[in-house]
Amino acid sequence: MRNELEKYYPLIPVFAAYLAMFLIGKNVTGMWQLMGMLAFYCALGQAFNIFLGMTGYVDFGYVAFMGVGTYGMALGITRLAHIEGLGVVIIIIGFILSLLMSTMLSIAVGAVALRLRGAYFAIATIGVNEGFRYLIEGARIWNGSEGMIFNAQLNQILGREAASALSTFWADIMVLIIAALAAFVTLYYMRSKIGYALTALREDEDAAKVMGINVTKYKIIAFITSACFAGLLGAVSWALKTPYVFPPEVFEIHYTVEAIIIVLLGGAGTLLGPVAGGLIYGISKYYLSIILPGFQLLIFAPIIIIIIILFPEGVVGMLKSKVKDSALARFII
Amino acid sequence: MILEQLSGNLIQGLVLGAIYGMATMGLSLIFGVLKVVNVGHGAFIMSGAFITLWLFNALGMNPILALPFAFITGMALGLIFYYSVIQKLIKAPELATLLATFSIGILLEEVVKLIFGSEFRGYNWPVGKINLGVTVLPMTKLYACIGSVVIALLLYFWFKKTRSGTAMRSVVEDSEGARVCGVNVGWVYALSFALGIGLTVVSGVLLTMFIPVGINPYMGGGYTLKAFVIAVLGGLSSPYGAFFGGLIFGLIENGSYTLFALIPGVEPFALTRFLSFVILLVILLIRPTGLLKAK
Repeated sequence: MRNELEKYYPLIPVFAAYLAMFLIGKNVTGMWQLMGMLAFYCALGQAFNIFLGMTGYVDFGYVAFMGVGTYGMALGITRLAHIEGLGVVIIIIGFILSLLMSTMLSIAVGAVALRLRGAYFAIATIGVNEGFRYLIEGARIWNGSEGMIFNAQLNQILGREAASALSTFWADIMVLIIAALAAFVTLYYMRSKIGYALTALREDEDAAKVMGINVTKYKIIAFITSACFAGLLGAVSWALKTPYVFPPEVFEIHYTVEAIIIVLLGGAGTLLGPVAGGLIYGISKYYLSIILPGFQLLIFAPIIIIIIILFPEGVVGMLKSKVKDSALARFII
Repeated sequence: MILEQLSGNLIQGLVLGAIYGMATMGLSLIFGVLKVVNVGHGAFIMSGAFITLWLFNALGMNPILALPFAFITGMALGLIFYYSVIQKLIKAPELATLLATFSIGILLEEVVKLIFGSEFRGYNWPVGKINLGVTVLPMTKLYACIGSVVIALLLYFWFKKTRSGTAMRSVVEDSEGARVCGVNVGWVYALSFALGIGLTVVSGVLLTMFIPVGINPYMGGGYTLKAFVIAVLGGLSSPYGAFFGGLIFGLIENGSYTLFALIPGVEPFALTRFLSFVILLVILLIRPTGLLKAK
């Protein structure tokens, strides 16, 4: 019989990586910012992987969920800032709004797109971020194309010092927590009925259906979960870290591209993959932006193509097959 | 007054729609034959725009003469990407080709950015205007529209009358059956991909004849989305369907712009782009096989 705890061994390397990021950032001077960026990419990868990795469907409009998450937090702060004495409660309400808004958008998109298969799904999602951006700009919702700047409100709510500590320190900690949570949820799904159903679906959707698996239900679960984490990530690393929101920025398809690169580099559908991918991508992007500013994508685009053709399993996928029969196998999935 | 404005805009919409339709034929051709969705579609349109711009600015070449250059460049790009990437992924899961074409698009954008920089550019080709009463149509737009219709017709006859066109149609119907009947399916795949990309790059030339400004490496994204809406309107795998889908889309886009402009306090241009996204979702929901195709 398997030990109950043993199920969670694969989380050890993931959490160790996050702890290492925290410790390096805290103790090595000048590293905090880089570690914050790496944490963001790992979290983005973990969140995106829950849907892409587990179902094999690509959501090209993924950044829309981060965008509405950012708006959730921004709305919480700007609309409630005038109420005295709420303090941190406003931030909590902001998180709830972020979650609600990303859930609602994912239900709306999922209701249409998840009925569709493969290529049609990708086509349906490719315009979600642009569509939502143009809705906000066109109908002048939430200040339209001017966006919102809420530095002053944030200072008013928390006090100047706490607000600055939030954006330079606590926001990064929260990103790490989101990344860890997303990893935990990923493993939980993998080890439960949801994971088995999604694996069956990814391998052969028709066969899964014939076997009586309600594929749509499990796709929706993975889609909404993934979207919620994106919403939280938007709220933390965009709204709280840099207290403003502009529609063209938070709905920029670039972030979907980064999420795809990270998940593919690391290995889609693996638990450790997004961490490996996030670290490789983040570190190389950081140093490339110093050596060759502005050409990161020129280098990464051919890399994705090469990975897809030659190493579709990604770094962790290859590692997994290397350690298959050794003691390490229990830790790497 | 409003009716006059509306009919003027609808004429413009029809002209633009013909170009949109032509710009989507390549996407539908590639999907129809290879079952590959070219997510980097817009980047190829952008390449066509830059070819026009470069020939016009550097050599003073008339945009109409840029058409054959664009077609040859597009065919070459198509063959290169087919043999280096797509061919290896034909049998892989859909995810692989989606991500590969997406990356090809990014690669093209970045290469163009490297060569030309990322600022917005434009050119001016003064060949006069004609007054249609309700609207004034620059001749360049009219040429672009005529060019689109001619190319669409040529493609139609090529499909119907030539051996390779027939081979292509047979692969669209049933690739296994075509293989059994002695069609070289691998060659048809390569040819279709090259032709699809060639047509798309050509449409970039025609689009700049309609809108000669705003040319920059990232202009393709909006066109990718529009092309998907149009392709889905026309049934996704039929190039002619795509052409008529383009006409419908041009009418909807320009008509709705006129109507949105009547609502105070909104940005009508942004709303038309939102509308195109809504149309896409609605059609995918109620009629994924396209509006024009019989069930």
